[in-house]
Amino acid sequence: MKRAAFAAIAWLLAGTSFPHPAPNSFLRLDIRPDGIRAEYWVPVSELAFARARDPADEAYPTYLVRHFGFETPAGEPWRLTIEKVREADYAEHAFLVAEIRLVPPSGASAREFVVVDDTVTHEVRNHVVYVMAKHGDQADLLGALQYPARRLSVAARQPAEAR
Amino acid sequence: MIKQTSFAVLGLVAAFVSPLGRAANTATPLCQSRETPGGARDIATALDKLRPLLSEKQRAALDRPLTETSAIQWSNLPLAIVPRAGLRLGDLDERQIAAANEVFNAALSTCGLLALQQIRQADDYLAAFDKRQIGWHGGNYFLSVLGSPSAGGPWMLQLGGHHLAYNFTFAGREPGATPMFIGSEPIRFEVRGSNVEPMEAQTSAMSRLAVAIAKRTGSRLSGTFTDVVKGVVVTGEPGKPPSGGTDTGFPHTYPTGDTDRGIKASTLPAEELELVRVAIARFAQLPDAAISGALLDAYLAPGALAETYVGFAGSPDLGTQGSYVRIDGPRVWMELVVQRAIAFPDQLHYHALWRDKRSDYGGELRR
Repeated sequence: MKRAAFAAIAWLLAGTSFPHPAPNSFLRLDIRPDGIRAEYWVPVSELAFARARDPADEAYPTYLVRHFGFETPAGEPWRLTIEKVREADYAEHAFLVAEIRLVPPSGASAREFVVVDDTVTHEVRNHVVYVMAKHGDQADLLGALQYPARRLSVAARQPAEAR
Repeated sequence: MIKQTSFAVLGLVAAFVSPLGRAANTATPLCQSRETPGGARDIATALDKLRPLLSEKQRAALDRPLTETSAIQWSNLPLAIVPRAGLRLGDLDERQIAAANEVFNAALSTCGLLALQQIRQADDYLAAFDKRQIGWHGGNYFLSVLGSPSAGGPWMLQLGGHHLAYNFTFAGREPGATPMFIGSEPIRFEVRGSNVEPMEAQTSAMSRLAVAIAKRTGSRLSGTFTDVVKGVVVTGEPGKPPSGGTDTGFPHTYPTGDTDRGIKASTLPAEELELVRVAIARFAQLPDAAISGALLDAYLAPGALAETYVGFAGSPDLGTQGSYVRIDGPRVWMELVVQRAIAFPDQLHYHALWRDKRSDYGGELRR
């Protein structure tokens, strides 16, 4: 805790400088009874490497749905709607932030699912996607994806169990 | 033959003998170790001479319990991003520095000592140009003893800071010289009129290997590399300070089979196989021979070498961002990547990592 506090202070004192040349992605999930609202933060620099061989005119949402989705543990796909894509900065890197609505098939739990994703990781071998569940101001890390893995099974805790 | 090597910055002067040749290439100048056995006993003796010179607070920083948390608390990132525990070298007085240097002499070969010196010099160089409060400073390097050398159980010597992590484990399940990280920004620079290139030995060996194998089918790895693959784990959450930056990804899984691992060393002609040996030695000879000599022997044993894969991505001459070379054997994992520089964004810089698939942390942290 002390160490984390020191790191936070140091980071702020440093004018938020974060000298890491290979930023990772963050998939932040707000899990609700009927589905999930997700923010998928993908660094522009790493995405450019991943899309280098793609058709130049393909829009990012089109690209994203080819590489990203949710499934039930039995393999049934969730309904996915990309509601918005915006630009944002984090730790001195530019990100594309996709705001995504995910709805499980009828009768399926919104808390048990498989993240299927290789948006960047199909190309960038060191890239990691951190998947986290939002609980108020906090977020629990649910797991991570790095090549060659492209599927992450998640059984998220109920809100009462969350820290 | 006795070699005298002087170190301007650290003031290290030590006598070295006995090339570490063993199974390695004997035609290439190699790193050297001390005449005395080196390793655990010498390090423990040097530590016993250092401790009485330290304040109580400094001793508490130096000697800490060996736990999983303390062991994996190394990083290649600068101090402002990943605070370090341990005895800060920049706080030592002259007598303490001299005693600490004896610890380094016992733990490192001539090449390992030079890497320590020059990587610290690189941080001093950066501090003069990049005024962001990132923690660039040759004094921001730390020495730790995790566990007790006299207790009979496993213990570790950690020495590191930005772009440097030596992690040596003694009296564990396995002799452990890894994980070891070295990096360099700038790639080369000038100190008092002399050119300094901290990773010249490693990058030239890896580049020569990559150039030699580039013409061979299967040597090019798929994908893009913007950092080493098995390095420290930087996490965080958008809107909050980045966190992590330590080895929380341990233990790692490694590629298996023949697919996308590069080319098998057993298929290479003798002169290219020699380049593999030299590249491995350039990393494995940074610690004192008493620490890593057996590991080097294991990596270069004919059976192991035959099962070792070498591959590259990007430019084999390591001249462009994303260039990458990897040596992936039954035990050895060595990777070197060329990244965009941080303080000088129009330049490049190196990251390199050596892991042992069996004896990282002396095999003490297997889960």
